[in-house]
Amino acid sequence: MTLHKTLRPVLIVLLAGLWLGQAASADLAFDRYRKPEELNAALRDLAKANPSVARVHSLAKSAGGRELVLLEIGPETARTAKSLPAVFVAANMEGTVPIAGEAALYLAKLVLEKAEARSDRTWYILPCGNPDAAARYFAKPLYRNARNARPHNDDQDDAVDEDGPDDLDGDGLITVMRVKDPEGEWMAVPGEPRIMKKADGSKGEKGVWKLYPEGLDNDGDGRYNEDGPGGVNLGTAFPHLFKYHAPDSGPWPGSEPETFALFQFFDAHREIGLTLVFGESNFCLTPPRGGRRGEADLNQIKIPANVAGFINADPDKTYTMAEVMELVRPLAPPGMELTESMIASFLGLGAVVNPLDEDLKFYKELSDKYKEFLKAAKLDAKRLDPAPDKDGSFELWSYYHLGLPSFSMDLWTLPEPPSEKKEDVLTPDQLEKMTNDEFIALGEEKIDAFLKAAGAPDSFKAKQVIAGLQGGMMNTKKMAEMMRQMPKPPSPEGADPKEKALLAWSDKELGGKGFVPWKPFKHPTLGEAEIGGAVPFADNTPPAAKIEGLLAGQVPWALEVAKKMARIRIADTAVKRLGTGVYEIKVWVENAGELPYPTAMGRRNMRIIPAVVTVAGPGVEIVEGRARSLVPAVQARGAQLVTWIVRAERPVKVEVKAETQNAWGDSRTIDLGGAK
Amino acid sequence: MKKAAALVLSILFIGAALPAQKAGISVPLRFDHYYTLEQVYEALQALHKAYPGLTALEVVGRSDEGRPIYAMTVNNPKTGPALGKPGIYVDGNMHGNEIQGGEISLYLLDYLLGSYGRNDEVTQLVDKVCFYVVPVVNVDGRHHFFADANTSSSNRSLRIPTDDDRDGLVDEDFPDDIDGDGNICTMRIRDPFGAWKTDPEDPRLMVRIKPGEKGEWTILGEEGIDNDGDGRVNEDAEGYVDPNRNWGFDWAPPYVQSGSGEYPFSGTGVKALAEWIFARPNICIGWSFHNFGGMYLRGPSRKGLGEYPAQDVAVLDYIGRQAERIMPGYRYLISWKDLYTTYGDSIEWLTQTTGAYAYVPEVFQAVSESFRGASEKPQGGDASGEGMMAMLSSGVSERERLKFSDHLAQGELYKPWTPFKHPAYGAIEIGGWVKMSSRLGAPFTIKDLVHRNAMVVIFSAKHAPEVTLEVTEVKAVGRNLYRVRTRLANGKAIPTMSAVAQKIDLHPKDMLKISGAGAKVVAGGLLTDPYHDRVVNKRHRPEVQLLVVPGFGKIEHEFLVEGRGSVTFRYESRWAADVSKTVELK
Repeated sequence: MTLHKTLRPVLIVLLAGLWLGQAASADLAFDRYRKPEELNAALRDLAKANPSVARVHSLAKSAGGRELVLLEIGPETARTAKSLPAVFVAANMEGTVPIAGEAALYLAKLVLEKAEARSDRTWYILPCGNPDAAARYFAKPLYRNARNARPHNDDQDDAVDEDGPDDLDGDGLITVMRVKDPEGEWMAVPGEPRIMKKADGSKGEKGVWKLYPEGLDNDGDGRYNEDGPGGVNLGTAFPHLFKYHAPDSGPWPGSEPETFALFQFFDAHREIGLTLVFGESNFCLTPPRGGRRGEADLNQIKIPANVAGFINADPDKTYTMAEVMELVRPLAPPGMELTESMIASFLGLGAVVNPLDEDLKFYKELSDKYKEFLKAAKLDAKRLDPAPDKDGSFELWSYYHLGLPSFSMDLWTLPEPPSEKKEDVLTPDQLEKMTNDEFIALGEEKIDAFLKAAGAPDSFKAKQVIAGLQGGMMNTKKMAEMMRQMPKPPSPEGADPKEKALLAWSDKELGGKGFVPWKPFKHPTLGEAEIGGAVPFADNTPPAAKIEGLLAGQVPWALEVAKKMARIRIADTAVKRLGTGVYEIKVWVENAGELPYPTAMGRRNMRIIPAVVTVAGPGVEIVEGRARSLVPAVQARGAQLVTWIVRAERPVKVEVKAETQNAWGDSRTIDLGGAK
Repeated sequence: MKKAAALVLSILFIGAALPAQKAGISVPLRFDHYYTLEQVYEALQALHKAYPGLTALEVVGRSDEGRPIYAMTVNNPKTGPALGKPGIYVDGNMHGNEIQGGEISLYLLDYLLGSYGRNDEVTQLVDKVCFYVVPVVNVDGRHHFFADANTSSSNRSLRIPTDDDRDGLVDEDFPDDIDGDGNICTMRIRDPFGAWKTDPEDPRLMVRIKPGEKGEWTILGEEGIDNDGDGRVNEDAEGYVDPNRNWGFDWAPPYVQSGSGEYPFSGTGVKALAEWIFARPNICIGWSFHNFGGMYLRGPSRKGLGEYPAQDVAVLDYIGRQAERIMPGYRYLISWKDLYTTYGDSIEWLTQTTGAYAYVPEVFQAVSESFRGASEKPQGGDASGEGMMAMLSSGVSERERLKFSDHLAQGELYKPWTPFKHPAYGAIEIGGWVKMSSRLGAPFTIKDLVHRNAMVVIFSAKHAPEVTLEVTEVKAVGRNLYRVRTRLANGKAIPTMSAVAQKIDLHPKDMLKISGAGAKVVAGGLLTDPYHDRVVNKRHRPEVQLLVVPGFGKIEHEFLVEGRGSVTFRYESRWAADVSKTVELK
């Protein structure tokens, strides 16, 4: 086999990297969880050990006085303005996922070790996006709290942060208190008395217990732990679907120095072409969630009455975006370029809140590949689903506002407990691959069983579903999407599947340390109580001995995803002589990557500017075409043609260039003298 | 635009415009001209120098080009610190070209300070409330509006370079003052296929041709050349990030609403101002002066936000209706419904992030320059401007405005069409409305506009909450047990907390705290019916009551207090001044 000509330089770089460029990545062991300041110190050590390819940026200081540190790795660390695209990796934005920070550090080590992973791009790696919250994992008592150290008066009384949890039983953990109460709604799960469930009156059950988080009524207002320490959950403080007025949102998106610094960083670094978050959602496995209400449906636009008259539209009709464009075009001043975004803004259609279909294609494609990757790494055992993406999260902001391919990875969830008679049940993935007819062919009985297993309401029967499928209101794809968003149905006896999984894990792997047995406690205001329940973090933080294996099997996928970035190149050129000194130049601009340039969302939000294609040469004058031709989008593995007609006294050499902000670029010299 | 040429031009222009005024600005301020940014700064210094005891002048922050944004606080420290009184917030000139807010702010300051000690109403007001005045929010915009050639509508933006035409170059194709007269006017070219012809009534104007008529002119657009050679003219001017779409409430990215900026508070000056306001929780009402159209707008700014609670609408209506009377011709309107939808604007932020009541006055009405006698009907002719401009011009035609220019400004508002040799279009004409026109009243009308709008602000300030506390009853009801009743009353329109803020739990309510060395509050709560002794007791910590005193109203409490000696009732509020009363249990 002969090597393709263009592959040769790549190979040389690769080999040279192995030989010379092997960077020192200090002696990093992944056998424990690091505090935020230890992660920062590790980044500084890496930068010090690799001064030619790595440097640190101190982005901000948190309310708690902790530094937000970013590691930059790549060939352009000495330059502020970059010519190469970048990957931005954020981790532990909520500060409650210790393994995420380790994953980011592990990735930094990988990138430093593999010269080919950083030879033609920059990596920005932020291992701890919420240091105030992350530091709590190492403090006593242990409890999950994603909020930074900005004080906030949650209960709007006369004191701030005055009623947080208290470790009453002195075990260093904040768990749950249960108190017998005539109004109690909770009872022990039959057969597993350690787990509590809400009593179901319709089944003749009666509640016994009231549940409270472990603590005192410190401020004597009759409530427990209603105003604990902390302010803003930085993991949900980004502007897409920001929850205004939630107690942990902060006064506005970007109110905190930690988040605002990231807004500024992304604005200043337009070379960032892809983002990846280590946290609790997983866009590598499950595409961003759809099905939110309020999306501007561009196929069914209603024109408000006051605008309808102006553009000769019928306010009672619905229009497609293309139809609205046709109505508006004659009214636009000459020379004005109409775009879908302008129309959407003019009609007040609002923000996009669901992933665009075109983008779901690459998410699905990569998800299939990732599953194979996990299989090869032997990490494909059944486990609880990753958390769904959250409103206001970094990963949603990156996709919807920045228009970037946004990926996320969770590194670990509890293993799925051994299933009871689950063999027959259809998974969303299986369902999605079926046609409507195949599904209907299962028959009513099987469909009813499937609906029940999926947790559909009792009133929802096979007959309706079949009618929906036949009538076109529903399809298997939509159903699979709905299933993914449905909460997991409780087990027959009513236990929360997550708690069951935790208990199984705790008994099998932690010697019972994942769950505190209920023990009596004499509470100063609640009286006879019992304290017990799940140990904080036991459900999202595996024992330290497992860290390295989990990272080694999963984190390298980040390098694979990065390889798929859109890459703009000049695929081919052609020159044709049209007459004396007049030439037609054709340039095919291709996207050699496996991700689109830009995402459909990036086209919609117009933040990613077109590829700019220029032609220039001594004495060359453009007769037709633009000096800066704009190519707004190139599909993955696709190409776009740009043409000019130029005049040149002599058959000189001209240079054509394709430039982008975040997808490389290319240039070629064309000899007009070689024209056909 | 060629930067060097523009700079030279602007220096010449300023030099020519300010020969005598360099003598300095003194108090009382004059309101027969518009103030350049430098003059606004000087006027603030002059006011501060003249009234050092009542004013504090500080730099809120700096703009994107580094200019200082000033705030002047008017407060009488002898009657208490500013934060202990209701705060009235006023700003102006958020859009660079909408300069009148600067003059209104200066007039308000000059009027309050000059009247203090001479006029009882003003003296009492200044002793009770404090004013926070930011005359120019968009300092870069005001600077460039005066210094550079502009239309009356250009230079609204923050100076955040933005690639409007998405060609990878930033702010590279401004309008150009090609005839060097300091204005960006209109270019037209003779064209038998054009859509316009000379107005038969006034040869300086054009009217649209009717079907079948022969055209005479094509309007080429604003004065300029194709600076970047992309075949388009003036398509990537300064900015565009709109300072009034960049605020951090209900912010939406630019594809949803153009000009909102890359992220909320991307404007450094806007961010600094928001943080400055946020640090002043005593602000109970805010006014943000824009031009034009003759409107007092209130929120909501977007239908989807939902109407405000009825109690808040009542307050806004009370002040809004009075404003309509103080400033005849202006209409009190709802922003989303009567004008248009906005995301991320300043008054919605003020309402939903600080809890204050807020208005946007759109000052200046075209009717005031319509050149009509009392008995005359509107004349024919095309409305001034197009689209939104036409709507805001409320039917005043160009013909009428031109007569106003002729007879009341001796022609200064309109540049006659003048031949020009354009590098791309060849022989063209340049003419039309000049920068200091259209949205800006002729200088002789400034005083009336600023006075009336300042009076609107003062009316609202007089309705800042003012709470009195009475202990209406101390009655022994048992051994060492007393029933004590209190009444908190507010004679003003503005309550001590907005209903919006209560609904979204935005900040703590007011508090009534009871303390006494020898006394303990056994029970206490809201007295809903004093005749039948109906009390809604607060179960926990009855010695701290959370409450809101409504506008034009009262709220009563009843306590059972055990013990002896003196008991102090202390009312604490974010907005209203704190008060306390001490009674003896006996």
